[in-house]
Amino acid sequence: MENIGFALEGAWQVLLIGLLLGAGLPAVFALGIRSLAYGAGGAAETVDAGHAPPHPVGRLGAAVCFAVVLAGVALGITIVVASGFGKEVSFDHVVPSLVDK
Amino acid sequence: MTPELVILGLVVVTALAFDFTNGFHDTGNAMATSIATGALRPKVAVALSASLNLVGAFLSVEVALTVTNAVIKIQDSDGAPRPEFLADGGEALLVIVLAGLVGGILWNLATWLLGLPSSSSHALFGGLVGATIAGLGFNGVNWAGDGTKLDGVVGKVILPALLSPVIAIAVAAVGTWLIHRITEGVAERYRESGFRWGQIGSASLVSLAHGTNDAQKTMGVITLALLASGEWSDTTSIPLWVKVSCAVAIALGTYLGGWRIIRTLGKGLVEISSPQGMAAESSSAAVILTSSHLGFALSTTHVATGSILGTGVGKKGAEVRWGVAGRMALAWLVTLPMAAVVGAIAWYAADLVGGLPGAVVVFVVLVAASGAMYVRSRREPVDHDNVNADWDGMPTQAKV
Repeated sequence: MENIGFALEGAWQVLLIGLLLGAGLPAVFALGIRSLAYGAGGAAETVDAGHAPPHPVGRLGAAVCFAVVLAGVALGITIVVASGFGKEVSFDHVVPSLVDK
Repeated sequence: MTPELVILGLVVVTALAFDFTNGFHDTGNAMATSIATGALRPKVAVALSASLNLVGAFLSVEVALTVTNAVIKIQDSDGAPRPEFLADGGEALLVIVLAGLVGGILWNLATWLLGLPSSSSHALFGGLVGATIAGLGFNGVNWAGDGTKLDGVVGKVILPALLSPVIAIAVAAVGTWLIHRITEGVAERYRESGFRWGQIGSASLVSLAHGTNDAQKTMGVITLALLASGEWSDTTSIPLWVKVSCAVAIALGTYLGGWRIIRTLGKGLVEISSPQGMAAESSSAAVILTSSHLGFALSTTHVATGSILGTGVGKKGAEVRWGVAGRMALAWLVTLPMAAVVGAIAWYAADLVGGLPGAVVVFVVLVAASGAMYVRSRREPVDHDNVNADWDGMPTQAKV
């Protein structure tokens, strides 16, 4: 029953990376939305009942958050496409790079 | 035209039919949440998902020839059919594959009729296992691999099916909780519209991943049949027409949209809002991509369903219909054995009649049974008009 060992090992890794990307990136996206609302002010926020002034810095924060999310998605697509062409994305040097399988 | 060639033709047509059912069975995995929240209109959602499946199918250039090796022993490790099957133009192998595909298709249609998402790959594997037990005995099945890696029915089907919902529920629940904590204080309307974009993006990623993973399996099965009958001899590539027809079949199936299943996933489990939809699809995309990257392949269906459940668990006050979830879990448990039973019956029927007539009889029965289930489905139709109707079991009649 070596299979159970292999499966648990795989499951553990998938859970960890899944949490990082599958819950982490949406959280960053949510931060972007929060920041955008802060930037827009007015009726976008429920606090101060529609009288909050706009904060331009909020838009900047939102842009950064959305950029991080887009980078994550781009990485995901690269992994899919690369594996189709017999390559894989390596994280050996922290920065993702394409290598042959 | 030799009888073997006709059997080969039947296998190819049946495999493409399976691919088609694979497509509409799984549309909901990617698009159910976007349709339920209104982020995409139903027709737009299935069109988007279909195009991405088509693109995805072409992206999977890697040869998936050894797909049956996960559960049965009719191929060598390089993908070539085992020599003992090559007599009579590979008829023995072709009949096993045909019976297996019939098992997969009929189980897919039955679960679709009931509106239950169940794994298409498990249905295919189940059908193949059943046909193999009938044709070759229990020893023809790869039950647990050789212990050097995750393999066999246990390693590729049972364990992943048990673990994937747990992983997906955890990831989606954490994501949903985080999103709601972070966006507290953002006005509801502002939040909904913002998350729609995230939802569409993450759902697209799931569709793309589905095309690359699932179309490959049918391509592998068809190429195996071609190899067995001597119509193709290269185990390092797949004929272009096979690739094109599989890609088109899965995309057409996706476009047709398994509305009954979309409805269950989008409305039946949890009342979903845009932030939850995004959390669910992000979790699905991340878990599916990570698992296939690590060689621990999980079923798209199990992951997507788990993710949607997870968003219900992670949101305070959200109602999860555990009764519906329980029916699904039951369907998952019986997918492999039920498809196996159908596959085995199909094999015995083909064997009893024998040769080409046997294969033709099985094919005709498949067409008749599929037609009957389609006719049954028209009694309580679910389509793009009533897919989002309030959940009280199946909608009685489409609102005009």
